[in-house]
Amino acid sequence: MLASTRASVRLARRSFATAVDLAGIKLAAIDSNQPTVALTVLAKAGSRYQQKPGVAHALKNFAFKSTADRSALGTVRESELYGGVLSSTLTREHLALTAEFLRGDEEFFVKVLASVIASSKYYRHDYEELVLPAIQSEVNDLHRDPATLAVELAHALAFRNGLGASLFATAHTPVTATDVEQFAASAFAKGNFAHAFASSETRLRPEYRAHRVLRRGRTASSPTAARRPSSSASALLVCPPPELAALAAHLDPNPSVKWAKSASPILAGENISAQAVYLPYSDAALVGLLIQGPTAAGVREAGKAAVAALKGTSGVKAEELKSAVAKAKFRMAASADGRAGIIDVLGSKVLAGSSETSLDASIASLDKVTSTGFTKAVADLVKSKPTYVAIGDTQALPFADELGL
Amino acid sequence: MLYGPLGVSLAPYIRSSPTLSKLFTPVAKWYAGGSLYRQYGLLYDDLLIEERPEVQKALSRLTPREAYDRAFRIKRASQADVLHAPLPRDQWTKPEEDIRYLLPHVEAVEKETLERAKWDTLEVKRK
Repeated sequence: MLASTRASVRLARRSFATAVDLAGIKLAAIDSNQPTVALTVLAKAGSRYQQKPGVAHALKNFAFKSTADRSALGTVRESELYGGVLSSTLTREHLALTAEFLRGDEEFFVKVLASVIASSKYYRHDYEELVLPAIQSEVNDLHRDPATLAVELAHALAFRNGLGASLFATAHTPVTATDVEQFAASAFAKGNFAHAFASSETRLRPEYRAHRVLRRGRTASSPTAARRPSSSASALLVCPPPELAALAAHLDPNPSVKWAKSASPILAGENISAQAVYLPYSDAALVGLLIQGPTAAGVREAGKAAVAALKGTSGVKAEELKSAVAKAKFRMAASADGRAGIIDVLGSKVLAGSSETSLDASIASLDKVTSTGFTKAVADLVKSKPTYVAIGDTQALPFADELGL
Repeated sequence: MLYGPLGVSLAPYIRSSPTLSKLFTPVAKWYAGGSLYRQYGLLYDDLLIEERPEVQKALSRLTPREAYDRAFRIKRASQADVLHAPLPRDQWTKPEEDIRYLLPHVEAVEKETLERAKWDTLEVKRK
């Protein structure tokens, strides 16, 4: 295990090259000798910073529209000629504008990103003709995906404001183009964003995709939320305790080998899928269990078993904890492997003004997880008021107390 | 069509020359006043031929308030036309109120159409 830890730490260290502060604009670069280059501009403009509900989602969809240099159509056609991909990604913390392109095309794509940040025209007709339909279709997708919807609702219940703000606008959003322009002015203010260069092949994906599941139909989800109000609102990088990562790894029923049965205390049934959700943010974390299935009765049984398993976690054996810690460590290291992960990890650290540009400290903190610390963290978690969300046939789905929460 | 929705215009050329604009401004003012649309409470842009895709798209870009006012002016003018009489003098459009509210939108749409045509027929040369 020690050897594997060392390897993952070395990997994480190799990924990050430089992070500098150029007159208020933070810049980080990584060179991993890939044929494609990704350039990401990361702004502290996630949904937790929005002044009006849905404005961050609108700004995300307003990226790469008309600017002083070229129109929305021009951006699309010209980047097609270069063969690049432009994308924008919204998380609760950050808005990432990414350009992926072949080596040698840096000049054009840097200009595109610069013009998007510096001279986007937030036209009312662009908003109504291009942005609103995109928002609408993403909101429609959200309502067809109970897992994502459950995670959104759990955030709203657990955090209320700030992190509780939804990533998505509502179907009939009151946001106007002027609101988006104002939000963009604050989002792209000097010191509020960072550039990150990376070159690898993984595509950047929204973080919520991780929780997307294929099965649809009646679904119940019971994320148990750990609400951890921040003691110092201004200080970022208050890392969530490593015990929570270990707990999520311990509960996760996904086996390491396909078709094998994992040692997790939650075992999903035939048609019931269960997964552990662990979403760390800069000053809080959401840990929970997401249970989905085609019938309400099956989901009820699985929910009861999952809650019992969560409560029984305090009596975890030393070797179980060891393997959970190893799993959590691997996940953390692997998350920084892909391009999306690198930008997420590196960008948020650079934005927070941290000189440290690797996951070493976070991975090392997992080593310090002890049996007593773990038991205490789980006991605190079980004692606190949980967040419970049920989506689907709510007539038949259980209430929180019926599951023993 | 050949000249786009706004037709042929010498106005930009005349405006570019101080002598010509000095000469033509009084004539233009007299002509606009004499062409009666202001006496029916309309603005010049209400007369723009709207059965064209560019103008239709430009009309869709008006703010709700602008669209409402336009509909109101056109209805009022139609009613006055039915009565075969101009509106009472206090309802006439004042020259300073005669703003080209639709023109910028039509020009923007026209520019977009031309740009799309340019990208659609672009010849890519390998460097």
